[in-house]
Amino acid sequence: MSQLLDVIVAEDNIVQSAYLARLIENLGYRALTVEDGKAALDLVQDSGAQILISDYQMPYLNGVELTQAIRDLDLDHYVHVILITGMDEDEIRSNALAAGADDFLPKGHNPTALKARLRAATRLVQHSKQLAEQHRILKEANDRINDDLNAAANAQRQLLPDIHTEVLGTQIASAFVPSAVVSGDMFGCFPLTDTLIGFYAVDVSGHGIHASLLSVAIGHLITPDFFARVVLKGQEQPAPANLARDLNARFSRSENDDYFTMFCGVLNSQTGRLDFCQAAYPSPVYIGPHGNAQTVGDGGFPIGMFPDLTYENDHMTFDKGGLLVLCSDAAHEAENTQNQAFGSERLEKVIKTSHRIETDGIPEKIVEALSVWRDRIPLEDDLTVVAFRRT
Amino acid sequence: MIHSTVHENEITVIRPGVERLTAVNAKAFKDDVAGLIDAGAGMLVIDFSQTSFLDSSGLGALAGILKKIGHRGELVVCGLNPDVSQMFKICRMDRVFTIYQDEAAALQALSEKA
Repeated sequence: MSQLLDVIVAEDNIVQSAYLARLIENLGYRALTVEDGKAALDLVQDSGAQILISDYQMPYLNGVELTQAIRDLDLDHYVHVILITGMDEDEIRSNALAAGADDFLPKGHNPTALKARLRAATRLVQHSKQLAEQHRILKEANDRINDDLNAAANAQRQLLPDIHTEVLGTQIASAFVPSAVVSGDMFGCFPLTDTLIGFYAVDVSGHGIHASLLSVAIGHLITPDFFARVVLKGQEQPAPANLARDLNARFSRSENDDYFTMFCGVLNSQTGRLDFCQAAYPSPVYIGPHGNAQTVGDGGFPIGMFPDLTYENDHMTFDKGGLLVLCSDAAHEAENTQNQAFGSERLEKVIKTSHRIETDGIPEKIVEALSVWRDRIPLEDDLTVVAFRRT
Repeated sequence: MIHSTVHENEITVIRPGVERLTAVNAKAFKDDVAGLIDAGAGMLVIDFSQTSFLDSSGLGALAGILKKIGHRGELVVCGLNPDVSQMFKICRMDRVFTIYQDEAAALQALSEKA
């Protein structure tokens, strides 16, 4: 022990107090004496001492009241309380234990008994100090990790388009709800030419930090130039399947089980022709200008799971006034408290009834419907909702 | 967590032993099955009749097992409920995995190959 431990002695009898203090100092501690319960309570707070030996009978606060008052302080360090009582004072002892006393010392100040009590107290105080130090180190590390995570989440958010935007006359509104601080989802949309809008939505399997690293890597890779080169170059019609094939060639090389799903497309803002490729991403819902709903696409392989898979181009007509809504599978798989999934049908219904509201309000409406379904319990997977309206 | 039984012709039938195969338990599932493959199991049937839901991590684990077994053996699945079946369809996993109605059909088909 490099430093003497402080022991507060609360005893109103000066002779007894001085005797006890000498015994304590002889055992290698520093004794701090006070003559009443209130002064003892003040000293516990001011000195930071972690061992208290207190008489039962004292002015202002008796030993049990003092013990209770110390526990009520809820200090960030533990104070080991030893009460001096007669061996036969069962009721006082039981009240003292209920108030939070740790140990008892028989009256008469037997030096051997005192030594044993102080040794036990010292062990506990040292142990609690070690725990507090470990806790401090862990908290520091945790704070640092959280700061890094928040910085990563900001960096990820900056990769995303504005939540309300307009590209070549098409309104695009999105909601991005990570299940943790960072997300395994990624989304991008941008003009490719004077008339063509390119977009993609990606959902990395799993969630949390691991998935988010891959989603951010994908977000950095798919720049407008990259997208245009892969999808448009040398093609009569845009070929979004080329993007899926290119990404699959890059990401299926690794030995791990990471993969992702994607829906990507190219919308001709003049003609309304939408060329798309579905790579295991849930089918989007299209609501025509007259309110008729249809699901888009009939499936496709995920990306990064197996090499040399084929991806297909498909196309549809996106009429003026029509609405296309993409949701990551977190929406379909959102379960209520009875473990019932929200499912495609309910999702389609919500989208259908949102048809007439402003595009900007649609993602929030879907997020709200899911939140109500889950009784406000946060989703377990990352959610992305993107609504496109052709005007 | 998995339950496995070895049938005639050294065909191993595996039940994941969980109602939901998700990010929470997918890695443990994969590690357990990988252990069986390392121990020499080459003809595997994974029976999902007691598993109602697979998320993307569950599917990733299953794909990982298929990659591990590669050309060294055979892996088939059976007992997919309509939801899981639909998920396989949208991901085109019905073209990657051989799927049988139930354990009996899977065992019979694998026995004929053995």
